[in-house]
Amino acid sequence: MNWGALIANFPYLVSVVVFGIGIIIVLTQSNLLKKVIGLNIMTSAVFLFYIAFGNIEGGVAPILDPAAPAELYINPLPSGLILTGIVVGFSTSAFALALIVKMYAHYGTINAPDFMKMR
Amino acid sequence: MAKVPLYLILGGLIPSFAMPVLARWKRKACAPLAVIVCGSLFALALYLSGGMVGKLQPIYQAVADWSPPWGIEIAIEPVSALMAVLITGLYLLIALFSCRSLKKEISVDSIGWYYVEFLLCMTAMLGLVITHDIFNMYVFIEVVGISAVALVVSKGDRYSTEASLKYLILATIGSGFVLLAIGMLYMITGHLNMRFAGEVFAQNAGQYPYMIWVMMTLFVVGFGIKSALFPLHLWLPDAHASAPSPSSAILSGLVVKVYIIALFKLFFIVFGNEFYQQSNIRILLLILGGAAMLFGSFFAFVQLDLKRRLAYSTVAQLGYIYLGLGLATPWAIVAAFYHLVVHALMKTCLFLCAGAISYQTGRKKVTGLQNIGYTMPLTAASFTVAAFSMVGLPLTGGFISKYLLAVESMGAHYPYFIALLVLSGLLNAAYYFPIIWQFYFVNEKDPPERRVLQKDKIPFTMQLPIVVTAAGIIVLGTAGVAAYGYLQQIVVHFLG
Repeated sequence: MNWGALIANFPYLVSVVVFGIGIIIVLTQSNLLKKVIGLNIMTSAVFLFYIAFGNIEGGVAPILDPAAPAELYINPLPSGLILTGIVVGFSTSAFALALIVKMYAHYGTINAPDFMKMR
Repeated sequence: MAKVPLYLILGGLIPSFAMPVLARWKRKACAPLAVIVCGSLFALALYLSGGMVGKLQPIYQAVADWSPPWGIEIAIEPVSALMAVLITGLYLLIALFSCRSLKKEISVDSIGWYYVEFLLCMTAMLGLVITHDIFNMYVFIEVVGISAVALVVSKGDRYSTEASLKYLILATIGSGFVLLAIGMLYMITGHLNMRFAGEVFAQNAGQYPYMIWVMMTLFVVGFGIKSALFPLHLWLPDAHASAPSPSSAILSGLVVKVYIIALFKLFFIVFGNEFYQQSNIRILLLILGGAAMLFGSFFAFVQLDLKRRLAYSTVAQLGYIYLGLGLATPWAIVAAFYHLVVHALMKTCLFLCAGAISYQTGRKKVTGLQNIGYTMPLTAASFTVAAFSMVGLPLTGGFISKYLLAVESMGAHYPYFIALLVLSGLLNAAYYFPIIWQFYFVNEKDPPERRVLQKDKIPFTMQLPIVVTAAGIIVLGTAGVAAYGYLQQIVVHFLG
């Protein structure tokens, strides 16, 4: 096993592990709010992944300054994409929370196993 | 001609957001406006794909004049033009159907909001089909997902709320997978435009084997969750069965299909046909498709609620499409695409029939459909045609695609899939024929003299879509042979 490569790619490892944690939370927690939190953790991991591969060590923000031209510019595109991703994630969790409020109005609980009993 | 592809998206987006305002001012105008919008977009899509017959040259258009490698690009391939015709055409019919049926199914106050989601979903599906930018595709995937969930929850009762929450959570997991995979694809290729990404991918594919495996698996799992590939279909039956019937028709007929089209585009434009043929993911699609055909039909067999049975049947039929994608010979892809189109017609017809039956008689169980063949003859006849097509009887569209799939599973050296196809067809017969039998031949409660042919007591706007889709199935099954050659040209062009 090549440990050096693993350490060099540490941010990717972290983001994949966090992604897994998020999915496990969504799938195993019975509380609906915790499920939504899990979704948020999962999408945050993806954002971390994007930012990690967009970053260059020693790079500067891609603002062209004719007085002091830098050698390395960071690719702004992944960060820009993630801005969209954050908005999408926000709207999804807002919608999910609205649905949970509606579930509470219908069932009086937000604990998933209880819905099965009430059918 | 220049800006036409963009109007395909804007034409649905603007009326969609005008809908709530219109609903405040004049609620009755909402449904006709939706019909008009769908109709004009249908005409636009017909015009676009009509201009493409014979040439097969894709129309590329840069959005806001940012040139392709950097800006977002719209590309109308012949495949996407056909899908645009299918989406807008079915939307026109479903919008017609919804004019009268919605009032019975959802609360009157939410009708204006319903059409927001209705048109937004169409816009996003059209965008997903014609976009050529991978991240833009992700955005449209999310818009389709959210508006599809909203289409389910619009009914407002506790079952649809629960089903839509389930759908939303699973769909979000799916899009998380897709987003991660898009990130990896961007790491490998450095492009988000499908054409440019495809060129770089062809050069670099050998260098990152593990990453490509992970990426393709993530794409398949992500789109698999969203398009209800067999073991990931858990959200589908609840969501499709508890939605209002126009929504069910949209979800089952179109929404799950556009994700498969997105997968098509990724496989054949970005990864390339040659690479796809050698990849192991094909075997996964074959196995899961085969399992879906069998288990989907089996689960459908044990359902007693009519719409639930139809929903599980969708799981099975999606298995056929994935099977064709997995076999991956050109004719198998043609068969998958043909089945995609036919199934969109069949499922729309069946769900609209289910909606019409519950509109007139209030019956929702498969055990309570006696005498429908006499009280609603046109609806029952259309249902019969669509069910025959599901089973794959000759002269219907379903026969052609299933026959082609059987031939191709022989040609691709997987002959045991023929047994699976036959078994699944028999199971289809086992759960559709009892319904048809009840329509015409069961009369325990009514004396024989009451079994006289009557007219359907549903409005004309509800009758027309049902009959048109049923006629479409017959046309695809008989005259469809003529469309073969054209479809094959398109697909071969698409495979490159």
